[in-house]
Amino acid sequence: MIAYKFLGEGGTARFSRFTWPLPGAGRYGEWVDAHPSVCATGIHACRTADLPYWIDAQLWRIELDGDIVEGTRKVVAERGRLVDRVEAWDTDAKHGFGRACATRADALAGSLPALRAYADDAAVFAEAGNPAVAGFVAARLAELTGGVESYESERDAQVRWLAENLALTA
Amino acid sequence: MRLADDLSCAELVELVTEYVDGALDPCDRERFEQHLVVCDGCANHLEQMRSTIEVVGRLEEADVGDEMAAELLVAFRGWKAS
Repeated sequence: MIAYKFLGEGGTARFSRFTWPLPGAGRYGEWVDAHPSVCATGIHACRTADLPYWIDAQLWRIELDGDIVEGTRKVVAERGRLVDRVEAWDTDAKHGFGRACATRADALAGSLPALRAYADDAAVFAEAGNPAVAGFVAARLAELTGGVESYESERDAQVRWLAENLALTA
Repeated sequence: MRLADDLSCAELVELVTEYVDGALDPCDRERFEQHLVVCDGCANHLEQMRSTIEVVGRLEEADVGDEMAAELLVAFRGWKAS
């Protein structure tokens, strides 16, 4: 199964602090087995629909193997190896994603003072190059205006933006 | 994360030890990690906890001199009393 994995700068996983073996010229990265030094529960990765929840500096395609469990917000596998980096997830894309979230948040907030602060925050985080928080704030604002369905709609819009602008298919 | 699933920073701090020990159930672990994605303050707190554990975890009882041990005991007693 091909999925996606967000990593921090240097190819290091945010939660486990494990530095992944990166692909080289003409070869994939080495296989990494689930292990307590990586993550006791398995190799975590994303389907396209999971991506907005786990945004980080680098986005990679990852091949998963062995038992694969599909959860609500992630997939967990016995082992995985990095295939290639999604180069389109660059500085411009991070700003573009954040601004798209902020634009939707602005439209939802309208002139309601209680919601303006959320929309303004989304814009600030977007301009600061923090797309994860811009997306989170936009989703939270949507939930405040229309409940859980609106939250899910905003997250769906984020998924569509990523899929279209990064040409993702998994 | 939806409002109903969201962890507050205070709740996350309470759960840090269990997270580091791998003792959280999968649902709480995911809520914990989703909070970290959007909260630099809590991410820093977790890093500080991990660094502390790495440094202090290497200490043997013999590494702590009598004077330091006495100071620590006083500090712990005062901490419990406060």
